Amino acid sequence: MTDNAGSTAMIRLENLSKTFPRQSEQAVEELTMEVPEGEIVILVGPSGCGKTTTMKMINRIIEPTSGRILLQGEDVTKVNPDLLRRRIGYVIQQIGLFPHMTIFSNVATVPRMLKWPDDKIRKRVDELLDLVGMDPSRYRDRYPKELSGGQRQRVGVARALSADPPVMLMDEPFGAIDPITRERLQNEFLRLQEEIRKTIVFVTHDIDEAIKMGDRIAILRERSVIAQYDKPEVILSAPADDFVADFIGSGASLKRLNLARVRDYELAEWPTVGFDDDRTTVLAALRGSDMGSVLLLDEQRRPQRWLQASDLARDSESLSDVGLPADALVAPQATLADALNEMVRSQVGCAVVVDARGVYRGTVDMSIIMAAAETMRQSARAESIAGLGQPADDSPSPVRERQPEQAES
Amino acid sequence: MAALKQRSGLETLGGVARNERRAVVHPSPSPDLQAACMSFPQYLVSNYDDLLLSARDHLFIVVISIVLGTLVALALGILTYRSARGRTIALGVTGTILTIPSLALYTLLVVFGLGLGTKPVVVALTLYSLLPIVRNTITGLLGVDPAIVESAQGMGMGRWQRLFRIELPLAWPVIITGIRVSTMVVVGIAALGAIVNGPGFGALIFDGLRRIGSPVAVNLALAGTLGIVLLGIFIDGLFILLTRATTPRGIRD
Repeated sequence: MTDNAGSTAMIRLENLSKTFPRQSEQAVEELTMEVPEGEIVILVGPSGCGKTTTMKMINRIIEPTSGRILLQGEDVTKVNPDLLRRRIGYVIQQIGLFPHMTIFSNVATVPRMLKWPDDKIRKRVDELLDLVGMDPSRYRDRYPKELSGGQRQRVGVARALSADPPVMLMDEPFGAIDPITRERLQNEFLRLQEEIRKTIVFVTHDIDEAIKMGDRIAILRERSVIAQYDKPEVILSAPADDFVADFIGSGASLKRLNLARVRDYELAEWPTVGFDDDRTTVLAALRGSDMGSVLLLDEQRRPQRWLQASDLARDSESLSDVGLPADALVAPQATLADALNEMVRSQVGCAVVVDARGVYRGTVDMSIIMAAAETMRQSARAESIAGLGQPADDSPSPVRERQPEQAES
Repeated sequence: MAALKQRSGLETLGGVARNERRAVVHPSPSPDLQAACMSFPQYLVSNYDDLLLSARDHLFIVVISIVLGTLVALALGILTYRSARGRTIALGVTGTILTIPSLALYTLLVVFGLGLGTKPVVVALTLYSLLPIVRNTITGLLGVDPAIVESAQGMGMGRWQRLFRIELPLAWPVIITGIRVSTMVVVGIAALGAIVNGPGFGALIFDGLRRIGSPVAVNLALAGTLGIVLLGIFIDGLFILLTRATTPRGIRD
């Protein structure tokens, strides 16, 4: 059992406790948990439960009072903390970019401390900026104050990844960002994680974010005592106790939509036309469907406008000027909850799915959501019945194809 | 330094042609009489190079004192800013120094064996320059966003790396403002150094004081005062340039 744990756990915390000076009560009490390699583990709990303290003990920003921290099987409780921290990426809510340094210097900080050769650093920084979706030639020499909040967050992630650490600690990394940008950054980060497969400990107080981002969620109560540590779908369908159920709150079935990704479902088709099509073709397309509108795509097949029959009355206007702008776009890795949200905002009652380059892929409509909700309800019911016998089991998830390998373990 | 020695006597001021070059250009049988009859502009024109020497000497002691004061004050600020008690002590001590009347401090330093001339003046000015720089060093360092320092720590920067690569550069605009304030304070106090034979514009003012009642007294006092004011403005201008040149581009307004 110990051998097995040693090979799969990237981080292992053993009886970790923290008592702050001049405080009688422990902030963290005898915490033991394992973080499996390549997973996002979320520490979530009410404010003051010790989740941030727990995370900061992993890179020893806060030194534990007692207990051990093992990183890749190595006891790092007593090693030089500065050297330890260069092996662990760290992203905090305020991002903490160095305002007096360029984006390049910010991202290059750890490689420089590790004394990498200059050309290797240069290549690495460009690669990372590319990875987080920022054009290196455009942003390399800028300063943090010249970037938007979302861009700073991306640079913060790039900086944490600079020396390719196996482990990342993220303390409410999307907390200080407006909801719309946050949504996008969360999706981008999940896409990125599929590529980089880091072991991530992620702290948040937001259960919805936890459900969306986590491969596993540890729900903590006071003094960082684990109330439940399991996959999100199990926590949602079979909360361990009243504390967990209260913390998840009402609307667990709506929250389950956060676990389903658009790309895992067959998309609906919407009639589309191109710029080159003449009005007769457009009218034919309109008549050929019962949707009441068609989607106008540009040469690269990117959605542009919603056209209705009434928009075609005047011949003089170009197709690109009439109708309504095509908004309510979602990415394939967006959740069904995102799609539902966009759908409600949309003028035509559906969310348009586009890939990373903005190319039209299909639409999500209400019938897809309803069907997905029904499937999830059934499997959740099955799981909670199974869960009565053996709580926190690892039965395969019906909707999350991301983790088949855990299901086998 | 040669110029300082040459100029250190009070009695050399006011008209005796101690500068041979000038004596050659303007041969004058009775300099005192001539000076007494001069209007202020005439006085300025005929004592142009003397006044420039005074300006140079004045600037010299100010720069030396500020450089020394900055080094001491930075060290004090860095050593104390993290502890409330340390801060109180550093600010208390440097603040108390500033309450000692300059006349008393100069006299004490001479009595305690520093002798007359440049040395006691530089020591006194260095002491007077401490408070604003210590205060602004502490304020500046405490004003650095803790999140930035924490992320530096989280990336594996040690205590001194954080201080020199993150905290001090970010606190620098505040610190240099303190240095600027100190410089202005010291430019004024330096004038009083003339009572212990210190160099600079103070000597002119004191000479004017000694000759009160004679027409030349006005010229002397006026030239000394104006010189100090102009020097102050000049240094302040330099500080504007220096601040701009030394503030990292990412934190400039």
